[in-house]
Amino acid sequence: MTPKPVPTPTTATTRTYADPREPIDRTWLRRQTRHLRLWRRFLAQAIVRETHYRAHFVTTLAVGVVQLGLALVPILLLYGYTDDMRGWSQAQVLTLVGVYQVVTGVLAAFVAPNLQRMTTYITEGELDVVLVRPVSSQFYLTLRWINVAELGNVVSGLVLLVFGLVRSGASPNPLQIAQALVLAACGTVLLACVWCAMSFAAFWIQSVNPIGMLYTSLAESGRYPLVFFPFAVRTFLTFVFPVAFASTLPAQALHGGVGRLPVVGGVVLAAVAVTLVRLQWRRGLRSYASASS
Amino acid sequence: MNRLLLTVRRNLRIMRRMTAAHVAMSLTYRGEWVVFMAANISVPIISLLIWRTALANGAQLPVDEHYLTTYFVLLSIVTMATSSWMTGFLSRDIRLGRLSSWMVRPASLLLDFVANNLSEKILKTCALVPMVGVLWWIFRDSMSVPSGPGHLAVFAVSVVLAAVLVFTIDILVAALTFWMDDVTALHQARLIIANVLSGAIVPLALMPDWSRGFVDLQPFRYTVSFPVEIVAGHLSNTEILTGLGVQLGYVVGFGVLARLVWAAGIRGYSAVGA
Repeated sequence: MTPKPVPTPTTATTRTYADPREPIDRTWLRRQTRHLRLWRRFLAQAIVRETHYRAHFVTTLAVGVVQLGLALVPILLLYGYTDDMRGWSQAQVLTLVGVYQVVTGVLAAFVAPNLQRMTTYITEGELDVVLVRPVSSQFYLTLRWINVAELGNVVSGLVLLVFGLVRSGASPNPLQIAQALVLAACGTVLLACVWCAMSFAAFWIQSVNPIGMLYTSLAESGRYPLVFFPFAVRTFLTFVFPVAFASTLPAQALHGGVGRLPVVGGVVLAAVAVTLVRLQWRRGLRSYASASS
Repeated sequence: MNRLLLTVRRNLRIMRRMTAAHVAMSLTYRGEWVVFMAANISVPIISLLIWRTALANGAQLPVDEHYLTTYFVLLSIVTMATSSWMTGFLSRDIRLGRLSSWMVRPASLLLDFVANNLSEKILKTCALVPMVGVLWWIFRDSMSVPSGPGHLAVFAVSVVLAAVLVFTIDILVAALTFWMDDVTALHQARLIIANVLSGAIVPLALMPDWSRGFVDLQPFRYTVSFPVEIVAGHLSNTEILTGLGVQLGYVVGFGVLARLVWAAGIRGYSAVGA
């Protein structure tokens, strides 16, 4: 049976939802482009919303700058008592904090506003409304809300990063910059995955608000080079709570390269993490009993 | 005199009941408190590891390993015991007029916040003490144990005073809602300042020399750092007594100020939503 041709609307008529329409093209590539288009709309909407709450925008920027300054206090004090900690100079640590600030800024802008809603999504049945929409529910729940103002932290992070590089006299070549970019991207994906995994626990334990706090507290360890920690903690921060990829490794790459192994390892770890979170989401959905219907 | 005594007794009775009710309510999500406290203890652990590395690396710090370790192990207990989280809620109650329904009741709204504070701290203590115990055991070689029950008693008194001080500052900030409507930014600023000046991020002993006098005398030192210093530090008996005096002074000072501001606010309060 051939589908009836869809009548093209003339300029005079208005299309309504009752009109026949093209079926959604479900090929893999089309699905991705559709999601990308959707995400662009989310971003546009977030920007418009930000223009409505200008005071909120300015406060977020100001708080971000003050918090960055605060985060530097321990490092400045530390380097008041020593010039070199396990091979890291103050300028190099500043670069590292810059990288960390960029990665956490990206997460705070694109992922955090969503995961903070996880508890209400699941306990108040908002998830039901998401599930009936023709988009990937995981995509929608992880990336729907964007907090544009947090991107200010990315900018201040970049400034700090460049400042640290200039102070330490490092001049990374294009390969090293590429390494740092790949590692930082892996770090962002890995941290987002860990955070998602912790938040999706809401399927089983309902309230996950304090888990967000636990994540933020643990992520503070990213403000210091890995070698500042004992060996066992270093292993933990590389493989279990992989904050190493969000700060130490990219900073190392910028200060003279890290070789191929960490870069390949990071990409593999990120791929594994994404797959695991995807599986966890499917398992969670199966155990979800709906809260509103 | 007799009437005052009766009022105090009635308030205490109400508070006991309300605390029990709050505990029952908080027990709904028992697991939450464990996760909360795991978060609470992780930042001090990170700092502890960093500063121990600095010492091992030959940094010339003004304090030794015992001081640092004891400080950071105790830090999470003291920040928990002295914390207060009422500003946002109290400010909301004033703004939305929920205060009205409390004004016709035989107890102050503040009593409810005290009960909430106590109940959460009871549960948090249950979750946190085992964790700190494990940490203490791991670092037992570089922990300094307080000398004698006297020290411990002074520590306990100082923690209670610090808790009252933080609570009073919170009331003071929240009471400004009577005039300002939105105190979120003010509250935010207070948190940020307190974080550094209370010694919750870096021990105040590590602050540079040029800031000494100011750092030692500002009120936030007496909300976290001072109680910890009593156990961890090299404070002499005179220094401890002076410190307690200053702490008591701040408690009374802020208490009177908060009382005045709160009373003035209540008088000028025109019930919204009533």
